[in-house]
Amino acid sequence: MKKRYRLFGSLIALSFVAAACGSDDKASSGATAGGGTTAADSTTAGPTGDTTPTSDGTVTAGGEISIALGSEPTSLDPYLVDDGAERAVNDNIYETLLTRTPTGELEPGLATDLPTQVDDLTWQFKLREGVTFHDGSPFNADSVVASINRMVMLIADKKTDNDGFYSSITAAAKIDDTTVNITTAKPDGVMPARMYWLKMIPASAETTEDLSDSPNGTGPYKFVSRTVGSDVKLAANTDYWGDAPSIASVTYEFVAEGGTRLAGLKSGKYDLITNLPPQDVDQAPQSAKVQGQEHPILILDSDEGITADPNVRLALNLAVDKQAIVDQIFGGFAAPDAGQLLSPSVLGFNDSIDAYPYDADRAKQLLTDAGVAGQTIQLVGEAGRWLNDRDLLEAVAGYWKAAGLDVKLDILEFGAYLDVLFDRDSRADAIYVSSSNDILDPDRQLSTYYQAGGIGSSNTNTELSGLIDQGRQELDPEVRATTYKEAVKVAYDEAYFVWLVNNQDLYGLSTRITWTPRVDSKLLVKEMSVSS
Amino acid sequence: MGRYIARRLMQGFVVIFGVTVFVFVITRLVGDPVKFMLPLSATPEQRAARSAALGLDKSIPVQFVHFIGGLIRLDLGESTYVRGHSALSVVFDYIPRTLQLVGLGMLFAVVLSIPLGVLASRKPGGPTDRILTTLSLVGLSMPQFFLGFVLLIAFTVKLHWFESGPGPWTRNLILPALCLSLPAIGRLAIVVRSSMIDELNTQYVKVAKAKGMTQRRILGVHAMRNAGIPYVTLLGWEIIRALAGYTVVVEAVFNWPGLGFMAKTAIQNQDFYLIQAIVFVIAVIVVILNIVIDIAYKLLDPRVDLQ
Repeated sequence: MKKRYRLFGSLIALSFVAAACGSDDKASSGATAGGGTTAADSTTAGPTGDTTPTSDGTVTAGGEISIALGSEPTSLDPYLVDDGAERAVNDNIYETLLTRTPTGELEPGLATDLPTQVDDLTWQFKLREGVTFHDGSPFNADSVVASINRMVMLIADKKTDNDGFYSSITAAAKIDDTTVNITTAKPDGVMPARMYWLKMIPASAETTEDLSDSPNGTGPYKFVSRTVGSDVKLAANTDYWGDAPSIASVTYEFVAEGGTRLAGLKSGKYDLITNLPPQDVDQAPQSAKVQGQEHPILILDSDEGITADPNVRLALNLAVDKQAIVDQIFGGFAAPDAGQLLSPSVLGFNDSIDAYPYDADRAKQLLTDAGVAGQTIQLVGEAGRWLNDRDLLEAVAGYWKAAGLDVKLDILEFGAYLDVLFDRDSRADAIYVSSSNDILDPDRQLSTYYQAGGIGSSNTNTELSGLIDQGRQELDPEVRATTYKEAVKVAYDEAYFVWLVNNQDLYGLSTRITWTPRVDSKLLVKEMSVSS
Repeated sequence: MGRYIARRLMQGFVVIFGVTVFVFVITRLVGDPVKFMLPLSATPEQRAARSAALGLDKSIPVQFVHFIGGLIRLDLGESTYVRGHSALSVVFDYIPRTLQLVGLGMLFAVVLSIPLGVLASRKPGGPTDRILTTLSLVGLSMPQFFLGFVLLIAFTVKLHWFESGPGPWTRNLILPALCLSLPAIGRLAIVVRSSMIDELNTQYVKVAKAKGMTQRRILGVHAMRNAGIPYVTLLGWEIIRALAGYTVVVEAVFNWPGLGFMAKTAIQNQDFYLIQAIVFVIAVIVVILNIVIDIAYKLLDPRVDLQ
């Protein structure tokens, strides 16, 4: 009798062990999971706003919010990875020498002013006094030198993904406690923008291998906890040198599925979700949008094949109705790309260029005149990485077909797609890519897609290449802007790309949160507030 | 029994080694984590330098020797996606949530499938049987990605009973566990039903009936135990399938960050080291489970000869 039930007994016992593990989780992470639900609780917490103890036991007025990001940070060390989720969190913990206004203008951050030029290779920064890191150590010239040194070292050791941002920097030297000189290998006009990107760490962190477990910056929020796979929590820094942030604490959760993010927003679990799909805007309690930096384009091979003829490239532009794509595929939450890959908020944006108009008849005529009507054009893309990419590619293929081409549309798995994008030996006729601009400087985008030899470029125009080099090494921002305006005009006239649209960044918001999105897509909690 | 287990463990080592080597070869042949580690705008030189730093520029045989050396020391390398962590430590960070999910899901499966199957077997062809068999078929043929979204819409979005994402099991785990278990409940209940029907038609049950034993005692004590072997076989299979497959879907739908969730991410980013570590740990669990199932046979039916 006893033996008979042993098996089922043990099976059930096993299951209870598993379930018990579940309840352990509840106990240990109860506080962790609370962030999401207390967000809802504080809505009912009375009109004066509730008070919430922060990590160091002090009490700050303000609410708690919960933000859902599309992915989990792969590390919390801003020096090692180039990762949007990492930045979403660390932009609140760390600060940089320069910052940008919500509309993209550079302005002083931890520096007191924009840098001055000592000579062509040396930039001088004056530093803000009385700023401390969260661990109490001072921010001064030593921390700036340590920050530069750590990045230079990581680049030399091939350990960082960020060498593209900083490889021009050679060293930093302390002049006095509040003055630092940063030197570059060549004249580097991108330098101020780079210092809007490099997060400052304390002097003691210079040789730390991995900062992921203990983020320590000067920012308005302090790191509280990280549960791998689950969440990251921050609390307001009561000793912050700037205006005191109004939100007391923030919990980041990571939700890959857009539908699940939206469900969490609607149920009140989240106050802010990123990458709200255009088709879901009506469902969100509140939404916010800004003309961002995302530009889906098609790179045309200007050297070989059917697209080597400039008139064919022009026809491929004219054949596509960008406004219809804006309306039908992006729900109106985009603008036609003004023929230049750069957003209006980026230096070098040329406002004298307009998107190629939609003129199907002329496109057809150009293709016929070029003698390529009925020929095959290869269009390579991927699906799932960028917003509504499959629909976009299918729409373009449809327009090109209507113009009289036989379109071979290859929608590849992302890895295989990258092999095509990066293939320097033979370029596909047309490659889809959605290009973004992180630091709001044109150099990297143009070096990658416009400049001959860039990993995503399909032209060998030496004039264009020269202009991009010139723009990089020019130190006067006004002259840089003029140079880039000229560069994008060259590419426009040659129709090296089919410029499609410039997306708006869309965010879903709860009804109680107030926030205006920024053109650099930073999620700065200090710029948010909640009503009680 | 001891000698038997030792022999099975030896076989298990061969299986685990074989699977791990297979995954090594496949990932090396088709993938390149550097593509995914660096930003799109990284130059070819930067990509080549990172490849060299990871040792991926070496020939596959050289990499293989290095890999085997690490495997012997249980060092499966550093994850290229979760930066700065060994691949095995990432697995141990994520696997508890998967074990909780499978544990609770299989608890649901066992607790529901046995009474349902027994109930259906009492009058084969009767209305109860028909209803339960139909329900079982619906359950086992429902794709989990679909079932998951139905459950989410009903219980999370509309009713607010549960939440998705990580959290306490009472609010966040019940729904994914249910989603994981429903098809299993269908399959298991059908097996319980048919083996019970078989057992109830045997001579010994007729004898028991003839001597006046109660229905409950016949079912609960005699027939059920003999019906146990196919059930345990299938249950083991369900656990293995859940661990090595279904959880990938269920964890993605419910945003439950377990190992299945991480496996999907590792594959998307071609993180060789993490893929290898995940497959390695799952292979170890599957081998152990198989041995446990064999031992369960012996406990259920002493006539089973494990030699």
